Amino acid sequence: MAQLTRRNFLIATGWIAAGATVLYKLGDRAIAVAPTIIFPDEGMAATWIQIRPDGSCLMYFPRMDMGQNANTGLAQIVAEELNISINDIEAVQPSTSEVPPLAVTAGSMSLTAFSRPTAIAAATLRENMRERAAKMLKLSSKDILDDTAGFRTTDGRMVNYADLVNLSAIYVEIDEESPHPNLYTFDTQRQKKQVGQPARPLGIKGIVTGAPLYSADVQMKDVLFGRAVRPPVHNAEIAAVDTTGVNTVPGFLKLVQEDKFIGVICKTPGSVNAAMSRLKVTWQVKQPINQKEIDRLVNVDKELADGNLENTFHEESHRSDANWKIDLRFDVQIQSHAAQEPRAAIARFNDEGSEHLLEIWTGTQDPWAMKRFAAMHTGLDEKAIVIYPQRMGGGFGGREHYEVEYDAVCLTAAIGRPVKVQWTRRDEFMAARNRPASAHRIRIATDDTGKLSDWWHAYISGHVIFARDRLPGWLLPVARLAGDDGVVRGANPAYAAPHQRVEYKDVDFPVDLGVWRSLNAAPSLFAIESAMDELALQLGEDPVKYKISQMKGELPRLKACLERVRDMAKRRPLPQSEGYGRGFACGIYEGRCFVAVSADVHVDREKEQITVEHMCCAQDVGMAVNPDQLSAQMESNMAWSVGMALLEQLEVGDDDIKSSNFDNYPIVRMAEMPSVDTAVIDQPAIPPAGAGEVALIAGPPAIANAIRRATGVRALKLPISFADIE
Amino acid sequence: MKLKVNGTEYEIASDWQDESLLDVLRDHLGLTGTRFSCGIGVCGACMVHIDDSPTNSCLTPVSIAVGKEIMTIEGLAANDGTLHPLQQAWIDEAVPQCGYCQSGQLMRALSLLREKPDPDDTDIDQAMNGNLCRCGTYPRIKRSIRKAALVLREVK
Ligand code: FES
Ligand code: FES
Repeated sequence: MAQLTRRNFLIATGWIAAGATVLYKLGDRAIAVAPTIIFPDEGMAATWIQIRPDGSCLMYFPRMDMGQNANTGLAQIVAEELNISINDIEAVQPSTSEVPPLAVTAGSMSLTAFSRPTAIAAATLRENMRERAAKMLKLSSKDILDDTAGFRTTDGRMVNYADLVNLSAIYVEIDEESPHPNLYTFDTQRQKKQVGQPARPLGIKGIVTGAPLYSADVQMKDVLFGRAVRPPVHNAEIAAVDTTGVNTVPGFLKLVQEDKFIGVICKTPGSVNAAMSRLKVTWQVKQPINQKEIDRLVNVDKELADGNLENTFHEESHRSDANWKIDLRFDVQIQSHAAQEPRAAIARFNDEGSEHLLEIWTGTQDPWAMKRFAAMHTGLDEKAIVIYPQRMGGGFGGREHYEVEYDAVCLTAAIGRPVKVQWTRRDEFMAARNRPASAHRIRIATDDTGKLSDWWHAYISGHVIFARDRLPGWLLPVARLAGDDGVVRGANPAYAAPHQRVEYKDVDFPVDLGVWRSLNAAPSLFAIESAMDELALQLGEDPVKYKISQMKGELPRLKACLERVRDMAKRRPLPQSEGYGRGFACGIYEGRCFVAVSADVHVDREKEQITVEHMCCAQDVGMAVNPDQLSAQMESNMAWSVGMALLEQLEVGDDDIKSSNFDNYPIVRMAEMPSVDTAVIDQPAIPPAGAGEVALIAGPPAIANAIRRATGVRALKLPISFADIE
Repeated sequence: MKLKVNGTEYEIASDWQDESLLDVLRDHLGLTGTRFSCGIGVCGACMVHIDDSPTNSCLTPVSIAVGKEIMTIEGLAANDGTLHPLQQAWIDEAVPQCGYCQSGQLMRALSLLREKPDPDDTDIDQAMNGNLCRCGTYPRIKRSIRKAALVLREVK
């Protein structure tokens, strides 16, 4: 790929065969394996849009779809710029051979990084079309006015896009530096038709009709079925294997055993299950796995007693001997992604001379990294490999490793026929890179008037971005020197205190860790917002008013969210009887997203039950490209908030992961889901930011604060069980 | 062995006769709209109707379904492609996020509305409680069920 110019690349792949194509240039940065995973680079944003000879619009989706529906928002931007409806856009998820590398889909970066390049690309295409119309009609381009899917002249003649493109290829290339035309998307004076509308997610009809969308839905001639044994943690070694009886299973074809890999290939999925149950593998783990060990690792009080924690996030005239009004420790347990779809992949080797020697169908957040990993794994040239990304049944940060793909490639290589690997739910839990447990000691002091004077937050968490296996081993110690952006996310409080210290330590866990929705922001905000609520109570202040009064300088957007949510909550009176409470929390995510949540909770002493009955959420993430989808993400985050606050904890056994399915790792069900009111605060002049994980930072503390009001008990650990508040 | 799915008879090859109904539907017959998620009957992603009764197909040996009418998500829309009111409500309310659970949700909702044409919140909570949605689309599922119920009652 390096030798090809972008234009030639696109021609070679048939992409600009006909019609007018605009390409937003990337710059000449190549993507290495590790960095696509850990350093999503905004500059990588790229976008391809084409107007075809029939006037219709084709767009390559730059994002891997997993429920965030970011691509729908991007299509709305294209439609706005081109004066078409999003229903006129045909959207394609490109394979790795159809476009140059795109950055990993992660961290709600999609809209933040892609909205502007997408708008520039589409606007450039529109203006190019206008020039053509002007030339064709021998008019000045300022006499060519916008109309639906084309233009009209000042004297009333119509020109459609279809009239302007023909079968020869037109190619428009722009780059980050070139001047660009007026962007309708960001024009605050403009009455918008597409952006800001509650457009239905693209592809929704396929979902409600059961169309093939996900990896395991791919049908293939001569396919076989297989699976490999998953270790309890990634760095475990095989100590002993017993395969007795596996070859007696009807439908069994082959046992594949090499190094750390043991898998089977069978004729049917059921025979795979039967064969797998015959394999008895004993694992040797490098670090003892048990809850005690994890508790020991995050024991923040013990570490503080020995001195400062390893890293200082922020320090300002810190005093360790202030007169602390709040001195509380908060603990948060490990959580798993538990996406609804267990991973699956299909791999196929083709004969010499085929366009691709290896094809892989998989749902992944990072197809280009998969391609590179597959090249390293098989020794094939990257050019000989293609990844066909499939829709993902949930991602939440958990789908970036070459694992189920590895299994499929190993197995298909061993048998010379395509193999489909469908992980079980247990495999999914075993392979999960979980959100670490963390422990927080928060101390707050005030002056005589109740104004914050001292803020001291010390915490220990497992690694997040620099968790092992997310980087090559040799790079880990180097990378860790740079500080783990995932661990410090959310650590910066929204509140002002003249004396501050925020310090942390990130440690290696015996279980696999990684990036989980909102990274460490949700645990940190649980601690911060619980502590501030407790302080307001002690001072006899209204928590909403008190928090607003203590914010750092002007935080009008955060303040607006909190005030809005308070008003929304009022619409539904809280029952006056015993056991009811309402709590509030707010937070800033990645410096640019603002959110506040209220929760109404009922604690039933007889039934020994905590129920979240109602939640309100107000959020400001800049321009609301699709307000309905922003609401959908808020609702989703409220569901996760209830899960995080009351239900979810990865159970760790003795050198084993005990959580294996939804019966022993409960997630929120319909009956546990509160009613939810959402408010989208639109900022048309501020570029949109991703909202996939924002509201999760404020939900759990809102619930904990409501429980405090309902019972008088301050919850100090998540998840909160009834026994904790008795 | 023959299996009748959405009104069509399929011949089941001998290798597949000991499989679960889910695996036969997906990997033998290519009807992949029914999804696999937990494999132990606790999530509802694999829900189909067997003689009108909602059933988790992951736990159902295919042999049990022989001689019965099986209906899957692929059979929910009319033959001419007109969407069922539930599907239409699902689109109008923009229910799906990742979408993976939604086939099962729709199949469960369909049988709920057969039993209770005008379900209240408790009915919905009870009926739908076995259908997990990690994306948390529950509030929209609830709204859509009520909406579709209204449409279906009007049709009658
Ligand atoms: S896959 Fe059958 S109930 Fe979950
Ligand atoms: S929509 Fe993703 S699991 Fe339900």
